[in-house]
Amino acid sequence: MESRNRLLLLSSALAATLLLSGCASLRWPWNKDKQIEEQQTEAEAAEEEAEEQDVSPPRVIEPNVARRKIKTPRIDNENWEVGVGLGFMSIEDFGTNVTYAAQLTYHVTEDFFFRADLGQSTAGRTSFETLGGNIELLTGDERRFTYYSLSLGYNFLPGEVFIGRNLAMNSGFYLLGGIGSVDFAGDNRLTVNFGAGYRVLPTDWLAIHIGVQDRVFDSDLLGETKVTNNIETLLSATVFF
Amino acid sequence: MEPSITTTRSRRLRNSFSALALFACFFSVTALAKQTEEEKAAKAAAAQEKLLQVFISEPYLELATGPGRGYPVFHVVPREQSVDVLHRRTDWFKVRDEQGVEGWARARDMRRAKLADGSPFVFNLGDRAGFTSHDWELGIGGGDYGGANLISAYGAWSLTDNMKVEITLSQFLGNSSNGYKAEAGILHVIVPEWRISPILELGTGVVHTQPRATIVLPEDRTDQTAYAGAGIRAYLTRRFFLRADYRWHTVFTSRDDNEELEEWKVAIACFF
Repeated sequence: MESRNRLLLLSSALAATLLLSGCASLRWPWNKDKQIEEQQTEAEAAEEEAEEQDVSPPRVIEPNVARRKIKTPRIDNENWEVGVGLGFMSIEDFGTNVTYAAQLTYHVTEDFFFRADLGQSTAGRTSFETLGGNIELLTGDERRFTYYSLSLGYNFLPGEVFIGRNLAMNSGFYLLGGIGSVDFAGDNRLTVNFGAGYRVLPTDWLAIHIGVQDRVFDSDLLGETKVTNNIETLLSATVFF
Repeated sequence: MEPSITTTRSRRLRNSFSALALFACFFSVTALAKQTEEEKAAKAAAAQEKLLQVFISEPYLELATGPGRGYPVFHVVPREQSVDVLHRRTDWFKVRDEQGVEGWARARDMRRAKLADGSPFVFNLGDRAGFTSHDWELGIGGGDYGGANLISAYGAWSLTDNMKVEITLSQFLGNSSNGYKAEAGILHVIVPEWRISPILELGTGVVHTQPRATIVLPEDRTDQTAYAGAGIRAYLTRRFFLRADYRWHTVFTSRDDNEELEEWKVAIACFF
């Protein structure tokens, strides 16, 4: 009887122990916070331990300096070239006369450029007029030979020229070709022009050119239509801007 | 040498400043009123001297005597040193180094230089990207205008990559009449990023017609004209492209009927 009571007591005590411990191990909501807190304290302890043990790297100091904004000055582009020239224009059948010209160039790359030429010359007398006495083929206004052309140029053979021992100047040859028009003898005609030039640059902004261009057009002034070649030789000075 | 954060060369500025300051001092003794003018001049000189300073980040920068690949290299600027950019001509920059040596540096090399704050030196290069997006166009060409030979030049300014405003000046030389015309219009590039892209045009202008001397016709006349056109533009190389277009013109003559003319032309053009 006594052993039976003891067994009952022991089993109830065991059940109570199991139950109570089981409750603690179960994830009851009221236990959750406790668990986290425990974990946190553990982690903090580990950190503190680590801090005590090793030499931590020095703290990076954020410099309180504002980055300066740099205003970049505008770079001057000097691809345009403008100038005037003086030379001779040999108008087929009408002799050789002085010509005045203006030119505007845009340098697209180091090799190629666009150029516009505008010039004026005055035609002389044909041999027919000279020999025939009082014959005048053209009036004063009609003898004015006004021309323009739009050309594409190609720079080649760049180099330097030396004047004396201490002076070197950049130089270069170029080829030109284009189309344009001429106003002569009371009519406008389409011209095809081609030629070559030589350029010397005493300074970076100044260039001296010597150029020869043939301006070709169809003319029917002396009866039949023929192709005329009109050679222009020009000495010009240009500035880059 | 540590890169300075100023964009101007201090030494040169100081020299010019001191010279101008001396000048100003001398005049202040005699005429005090003049001093303000001298100060203004000093400021103007300083402003004029403000040049872009770039730092060499490659082992060296070569300087040539002229702006072209044929001109000899005569000087090199070592890494970390700076150069002042004086001006640019096509794909070359005229620069001055710290010793005062001036020469021409290739744009491709300058592209690798750095600004004082360490940022790269960025500028417009004439390439495919530039073809897609640029400010200006300039072209010359020839063609046919109602049976007459046509010579024309045009300039265009980009509103956007697709839309441009253009001005065309042309002369036509025909069997029965010659003349000039000036037109302004809108140019629409349909796909600017393509190497070859279609274009559409719309515009108006004036045309001045002169009858040929050999044929008896009414006197010169100036009429208003309008056009609609289409064409293509094709990238060639570097800064060049080809443009071919067709324009349908209506000339509003003083006669009973309007005149309708066709125009074909091909132009070689550049962008910048």
